[in-house]
Amino acid sequence: MPLRFHWRLLQGGDEGASAALALPDLEAQVELCRTAEDCGIDSLLVDVNAAKPDPMALGLSLALATDRMRFMVAHRPGLMSPTLFVQQVNTFAALTGGRISLNVVAGHSPREQRSYGDFLSHDERYERMDEYLAVCHALWDRSGPVTFRGRYLRIEEGRLNTPFVDAVRSRPEIYLGGSSAPAREVAARRASCWMRFADTPEQIRAQGAPPGVETGLRLSVVVRPTREEAVAAARALLAPETAPGQRQDEAAFVRASDATGVRAAYQLAEQEWLTPCLWAGAVPTHGATSLALVGTPGEVAAALLEYGRAGVSQFILSGWPKRAEMVRFAREVLPRVRAAEGVPCPS
Amino acid sequence: MSRPLRFHWSLSQAGNTLRRGVAREQMSGLPDFAAQLDLCRCAEENGIESMLMAVGFTRPDPLLLSLALGRQTSTIHFMVACRAGIVSPVAFTHQVNTASALLGGRISVNLVVGHTPHELGYYGSFLEHGERYEQAEEFLTICGALWRGERGVDFAGTWYRVEKAAVGPPFVSPWRAAPEIYLGGGSREAAALAARHASCLWRFADAPALLAPEVAPVLASGKEAGLLVALVVRPTREEAVRHAQDVLAGLGPEALATHRKLAGQTDSVGFSSAYRMADGSGPEWRTPCLWTGAVPYLGPPSMALVGSPDEVAAALLEYKALGISQFLFLGWPDREEMEIFGRDVLPRVRRAESAGDTGEAAACH
Repeated sequence: MPLRFHWRLLQGGDEGASAALALPDLEAQVELCRTAEDCGIDSLLVDVNAAKPDPMALGLSLALATDRMRFMVAHRPGLMSPTLFVQQVNTFAALTGGRISLNVVAGHSPREQRSYGDFLSHDERYERMDEYLAVCHALWDRSGPVTFRGRYLRIEEGRLNTPFVDAVRSRPEIYLGGSSAPAREVAARRASCWMRFADTPEQIRAQGAPPGVETGLRLSVVVRPTREEAVAAARALLAPETAPGQRQDEAAFVRASDATGVRAAYQLAEQEWLTPCLWAGAVPTHGATSLALVGTPGEVAAALLEYGRAGVSQFILSGWPKRAEMVRFAREVLPRVRAAEGVPCPS
Repeated sequence: MSRPLRFHWSLSQAGNTLRRGVAREQMSGLPDFAAQLDLCRCAEENGIESMLMAVGFTRPDPLLLSLALGRQTSTIHFMVACRAGIVSPVAFTHQVNTASALLGGRISVNLVVGHTPHELGYYGSFLEHGERYEQAEEFLTICGALWRGERGVDFAGTWYRVEKAAVGPPFVSPWRAAPEIYLGGGSREAAALAARHASCLWRFADAPALLAPEVAPVLASGKEAGLLVALVVRPTREEAVRHAQDVLAGLGPEALATHRKLAGQTDSVGFSSAYRMADGSGPEWRTPCLWTGAVPYLGPPSMALVGSPDEVAAALLEYKALGISQFLFLGWPDREEMEIFGRDVLPRVRRAESAGDTGEAAACH
């Protein structure tokens, strides 16, 4: 199977918390979606955060404004009934011909969870996620009324008349993010792909993966014609004018987080280069998702293929600036990956 | 002079007029999008302000469906039904605010607490009628604080607890800082909740004299009251009555069984009293214009104003005279009835309103 590449949607609210930025910028986002369609990107991640637009509503509007692009809608279990959630997912699918997948996350900040009314601890959130996804799958099975009595959730004879609508699937693909042991267990039981932050291929091999599901990496890329240009572009992110106050903010964010992966990535960042290509320099200011492959198209393609050999089959990528990096990736990196895989490249 | 009446229409049966006549498990959960879009566009041309987007296990999600219909329409608003108790009020506000930005503010909220405990169990809600209203009260308190733009909302109630709640996206609308909140319910609890947190209480219709004391408390609190009622308007009374009877011709034992079951399951005061009104123990016509004959086959929303344009316009104005200010209609079929309303009834209502006449015109006879 060829490697699959997803990209993270650019969003209002990304660069700050002001109300204006928290609104969807549909025109610019649709533009990015169309570019992604042309770039051979598998789907766009619409992430979830109280400061940003709701990903289900935004994802649907973008899907309706595009023809082919798929949307990986992020979702935190615990804020709505699983039955209502499946009803929303199935409605999204019915309106778009199934162009939805899910990025299920447990939340990483106790403070933000409490603001939604969720007071569970880290491990309890995964226990609840397990129950939640069990209910979702039972509804997607469509094999009769669903009764479920768990510790966190109780459903009696649940049913929905709106099915999941798709040409091939009976339910959406589920990408489940989380590095902790409970996250891995839930991923093995309920997900189609386990998502983790990047590390070296050796470490990824050594740390293993949940059985029976694919492994995906959340990763950034900085690709330039020469290695020197790539490194310079990456380091430019750290310029004080690009990231005013961000180092402090990110450190505070990590201190406030109870996510294993967020903390692990922050520790990795004590070294700037984890491999000749894998750069942790932006982690202190831009967070764990900024662990980046930095280099020439050939170097980055080779690094991706090496991850493939380490058991990774999917990637959710991002870059700066997002659109230009995505186009460069599609033009320069993807054909190299596909050539090595022996797969014809659509672009 | 009082404000002009406001008119809304239910999207609930677009594409399948007799949807409510089959077993609920058999109703299609897939939207007939073309028929729905057609009805929305028709509404834009016929003086209808918003479409009610109903909620329930038999239907697609109303908020997402509104986004899809909103993309292809320009002026119609969407009154999105929501059941408090199956979603965090913060997550709900987040979704509504995002949708408001995507719809250019063409969204309002119709809060309901559910009418059938059995169905609420599908969603994991097991509260009794009174508790559901207490929960809805807390729900709207939190949503209201967020819509007022309060940052860091703290709330600790019986059903909800949030700490420093805030959502990034604000409610976006050229007209308002927060969505209008409609609340559906016939109970005393519903009226009390509407008085505190809603802008308008929806009720099923009844004879004006019987309705007046029921809506008095809501009106006294400064909030509006509206009626959910079907329309059957034809050039003459005889034609209208014949059409109403014809609607029932396609319905039989399955429809009766569906609603007998629902009448037995519901714990909604509004639903129960509407079913009771139509159980054969009283007259089928509550007034010369208000017909309950379809209720045993199609449920409480099918109580209908039946008559000529003059009669129905007069009936609407008579309700207006007792303080009803909004109406939510449906019809069989919806599109035809909506066009008749826009062409034959609405102009009569507006003429009477501008003449300051609210109910003296010839009522049904």
